[in-house]
Amino acid sequence: MAVLRHSAAFPFLLLLALLICIPALVSGVWLNDDGGGVEEEGEQFSEELFLKPLPDRKVLAHFHFQSTVPPSAANGRHHHLFPKAIAQLVQKFQIKELELSFTQGRWNYESWGGSDPISSTNAKPPGVELWALFDLPVMEIDATWKDLTHALSGLFCASINFLESSTSYFAPSWAFRSNVSNLRYGALPREAVCTENLTPWLKLLPCRDKAGLASLLDRPSIYKGYYHSQRLQLTSTKSTGIVLKQTLTVVLKPDVQRNSAHSSLDKSIQPSWSVSSMFKKNVTGLCVPAKTSRIFFELETNMVVELEKLGYGDSWSNSIFDLSPNPVRVFKESNPLPGRSNSIIYEFINYSEHEPLDLGMKWKLPFIWSCSQAPFHVSRFLMGSGNERGSIAISLQSTESNKEFLAKSHGCNVQVLIFQVVPWYVKVYYHTLQVFIDGKPQSVSDVIEKIQVSPSEDKLFPGTLELMLRYPCSVQSVALTLDFDKGFLHIDEYPPDANQGFDIPSALVTFPNFHSSRSYVEDNFSINSPLLLKFQEKNVVRSYTEALLVPLTTPDFSMPYNVITFTCTVLALFFGSLLNVLRRRVGEEERLLNSKGNTTRIRLIPLLLSKFSSKLKGRTDGTPKSSSLLGSKFLLILVAVLAVLWHYISN
Amino acid sequence: MAEISEDAPPPPAAAAADAGVQGEAAPTRRSTKPGRKRLFLTFSVLLSFLSGLPFFLKSTEIHRSPLPFESIDALSRRLQFDPPSLPCHFRAVFLRSGADRTLAARLQSAIAADMGRRAGNRLSCGGCGRGFAVSVTVDSGEECVSDDGGVAGSCLWTCGAVSLDGSGEDDSAVDELLDSVMRGAGGKECVDAGGGRVYTVVVMEKEDVESVRVVVGKHRHAWIVGKVSETDTVSIISKVFVKYFMNGGKEGRGMEKGIGEFVPVGADGTVVLSFSLLNADPSDWVYDWEFQEMSKIMLAPVAKALTPIANISIESQVLYHTPKSSNSYWDEKYGGYIFSLRDLPFFVNSNEWHLDTSVTAAGRSKVLQFVVYVPSAIECPLLLQLPNGEISKTNSFISPMWGGIVIWNPPQCTGDSQKKHLEGSTLPPQELEKIFQVFIAQLRMLFGLTSNYIDSSETEISKFLDSERGFTDWELDVLFRHHACFNLHSCVNTLESLAKLVQSLPRMIVMDEIGKQVKYSLEAASLAQMNASLGIYDASAASSRKAKALAEDAFFHPSIMSISYSSIEHYFAIYMPFFAPVSLHVLLAAIKELKRYKREKAKYMAFAADQARSS
Repeated sequence: MAVLRHSAAFPFLLLLALLICIPALVSGVWLNDDGGGVEEEGEQFSEELFLKPLPDRKVLAHFHFQSTVPPSAANGRHHHLFPKAIAQLVQKFQIKELELSFTQGRWNYESWGGSDPISSTNAKPPGVELWALFDLPVMEIDATWKDLTHALSGLFCASINFLESSTSYFAPSWAFRSNVSNLRYGALPREAVCTENLTPWLKLLPCRDKAGLASLLDRPSIYKGYYHSQRLQLTSTKSTGIVLKQTLTVVLKPDVQRNSAHSSLDKSIQPSWSVSSMFKKNVTGLCVPAKTSRIFFELETNMVVELEKLGYGDSWSNSIFDLSPNPVRVFKESNPLPGRSNSIIYEFINYSEHEPLDLGMKWKLPFIWSCSQAPFHVSRFLMGSGNERGSIAISLQSTESNKEFLAKSHGCNVQVLIFQVVPWYVKVYYHTLQVFIDGKPQSVSDVIEKIQVSPSEDKLFPGTLELMLRYPCSVQSVALTLDFDKGFLHIDEYPPDANQGFDIPSALVTFPNFHSSRSYVEDNFSINSPLLLKFQEKNVVRSYTEALLVPLTTPDFSMPYNVITFTCTVLALFFGSLLNVLRRRVGEEERLLNSKGNTTRIRLIPLLLSKFSSKLKGRTDGTPKSSSLLGSKFLLILVAVLAVLWHYISN
Repeated sequence: MAEISEDAPPPPAAAAADAGVQGEAAPTRRSTKPGRKRLFLTFSVLLSFLSGLPFFLKSTEIHRSPLPFESIDALSRRLQFDPPSLPCHFRAVFLRSGADRTLAARLQSAIAADMGRRAGNRLSCGGCGRGFAVSVTVDSGEECVSDDGGVAGSCLWTCGAVSLDGSGEDDSAVDELLDSVMRGAGGKECVDAGGGRVYTVVVMEKEDVESVRVVVGKHRHAWIVGKVSETDTVSIISKVFVKYFMNGGKEGRGMEKGIGEFVPVGADGTVVLSFSLLNADPSDWVYDWEFQEMSKIMLAPVAKALTPIANISIESQVLYHTPKSSNSYWDEKYGGYIFSLRDLPFFVNSNEWHLDTSVTAAGRSKVLQFVVYVPSAIECPLLLQLPNGEISKTNSFISPMWGGIVIWNPPQCTGDSQKKHLEGSTLPPQELEKIFQVFIAQLRMLFGLTSNYIDSSETEISKFLDSERGFTDWELDVLFRHHACFNLHSCVNTLESLAKLVQSLPRMIVMDEIGKQVKYSLEAASLAQMNASLGIYDASAASSRKAKALAEDAFFHPSIMSISYSSIEHYFAIYMPFFAPVSLHVLLAAIKELKRYKREKAKYMAFAADQARSS
């Protein structure tokens, strides 16, 4: 990839780079709080912010707050730093692990990265996703899960309690986590996420958003972002106590500051930004209870590669960009493949109470790089039309990022795990599973190594598909299709605004051969940052697909009442006429009519009516012809008047 | 059709005859009997409709479990006229030499009369009721003379069981000695008699002692040492009995309904005491506390003592960035920032103090918040001003049903403000102990007792012994009685509201479960009343609590909230389209048929009469 478009500046940049190439590890020695002797006792809290420029002129900000409490009998009752509510939750529901995420927007795997630790562990499907691992006998888990959803929905002001019904959650057997039976997974793709969810989340931090890094969280600016994912992760073990990780991942677009002098360059230069300009707020003061409070800034691998091509190495101030305060420390990713550049992390520490740490990045020249991609780009879509049936397709497109993997061995294989939950009203026919490799249909047994299907049961369980694919590395695209019928719901089961359609939660695609772990080399100190330690964990690369919207047939909701009134009226008509027919005396009526015609004064309307009816019956009786003529004329006039009136009224 | 045409003038002969008479007699006469077939038909339809009506109504009926409205009314009336009270026994013991036979009887009547005057006529909820038994024993060492005022079943003092001659001024030793005697044989007997609690005042006459000491112990007794005149003795004894042992140190207004109304116990009988240490601005200083150690020493006994009334659990947390929501002003005279009583309602900052309810307090249990507020440097020292202009000694206040707040000024705020205390420091243990003592006093006040008797009472009583449990036995008895009474009252209130609600919404579904809960609640309430009249304290408290919990369960049953109320209009709108036209047809047909039949029959009768006349 070409990096510099303006080759005129090139010699000058080289010179600058030579001057700047000083070892970056000078500063940071005087900070004594990261040294060896870490007190393990007591509750601890640390806050970190991770920033990374993204190739599409946006910036990723990832907040990581971590609270830990050592195992103790007083957990859930007496706390100093750790949120009491969470400890009580863990105690009451015997949670081993739990993850709850609220997400708005979709992680753009193509331009924001797909294989780095942030995207593989922090990119989440839109809406709410909750999974929990319980330390309970299997019999009690479902009841506990229901209670847990209610407790969480109260705690976070969200409708997590909709995950209570057995149609909305599921126990995956191996595709989500390997071989666990006491895990429950549920997702609500349509849940809207906003400040009312963020405020209770912030309440779990000792300083809330009053001080420290969390004070950056200005609601308008973070909700204006392109992606927003708020997460809460709990792990509780007998030996380490409870660890609570709260992360907030936002993708923001910095405002372009128009510079009149370089207006021609402006369009191609990445927008310069600083923490205060992006969040419209400054870090106000220190969060005193926090053990550490730092900001990391990462230059990702491809960026470093491009920089090195230009000869800048790992300098934070070169002719392409400047980082405004000098970093305290520099971490370099240790290289799994020697001879290749790797990502660099700069560390900044928020130590001063009065001077806000305003990390800024100033771009001087246009620079283009690409992010690290997941081995396959995953997408899912619906096919077919109409309200009766359709099919789901999942497609995997190679991103060419596994080239070196390819090069390593000729007969290599890629493994892919797919985990898909489908609500019961989308009735998937699993036997219709078809696999296309590079566009050609392939027999299912050749590609699928392992498959587990649990079909849905109406109004009881959702259907799930757990699938392991294995195919050669050289494959460019894989597509799976499944046909389904759309079911009918009972009138009570339709949600409000049923015409919008029904969501199918995102499928999770995992690449077990690919890991997103990183290891950092740093000269003197051991790494004690919870965030970097998390980056070093060995995580497999995962991506979520889009959520799907299936339109179902929605009834006319006033129909039951219409049916009732209509049938009742018809029945009443039938009944009434039957009764009349039964008690009618035709002969007598005729006699009466005759005698009346002779004797009594003729009233107009009854006469007309009787005339009309007798005419309809096709009978003629002994009434004089003239009166009949008169009647029919009158009838004609009446009908005409009625028609005119009707016309008048209806217009 | 042949059938139908059969009725009206069918036989040709008859028709001819008819035609023959028609000219003059057709409107008024007929020769044949009118047919009944159509009449029968229409009426059978009408009748089948009418007989189907009950089935129809039954099938569209809304299920309503029958609630015992009469029993609820009866219970509420009974409670109003006769508030439940647990019987108490009062016993005065005079240790004196040279008994005189009539003294006991005289003193008994005098004390009973004085107590009656003090207790007044109004029955208070949670008092000892009307018939409290007073007995007097004069113990001369060798023999005892007793008078129980004619009330059978009151238990008597065992003679010569105690002599206070040897004991000195050590009040707690005397207290323990008396307690051991009470718990001995005599005490057991009283419990067996089933007459409720026994309260004792021991009067020890000492000629050589000038001053009179009146000490109220921490169990169920008090003693008077010294030389007192008989009338003074009677008045002191009856005061101790009525004001303290019967009413828990409170007098006058507000006693009719009892203090039980303000007992902060949740409907399920649990209370969570949530202690929070608030650092208003951690950038000035941060304090932590050794809560657990101190709570084991100071709070655990209190929680244990209150177990019969409520199930108490204790929690603690430390919070940061929690400013108060109202401002204070600097006062030169006191050298501190003054927060006046006027602003107290605005002290608690519910926006920033996320004291949070706890998971264990889910449902209908009660959380009492106890807060230590550490002010920030700009408002330190922070002092609370009483309405009379003085500074509060404890620097604390309570908010009824919410909890209590203690302001603790850190020591360095009066000194020069060097900011080197960023590292967390802990509250010194002696300070924490003081704070805890204030908390216990606040807890007593929240439970409706006074924090301290010495301040409020007159000089007659020299000393009240404190229990290390925070509450003395006789105070717990008072709480017990009031609590039982209040539970019954609130149970009845809830049931009455439920009855009103159910009656006002005639088409609301009432589940069977609600009916069951109401029934059990009433049963438990009458059981509690029965136990109370028998004087079984704990059983009556337990069943009254159960009655209240069941009544609340019934009232807050989810089905009452969730099931949509189908109105009578809805009902009509569904069934009208069918039944209105059909019933119109049927009724009109029946009426017409009947009329015609009558008319025709009249014609025939006239014809028959004619026939008879002519023949």
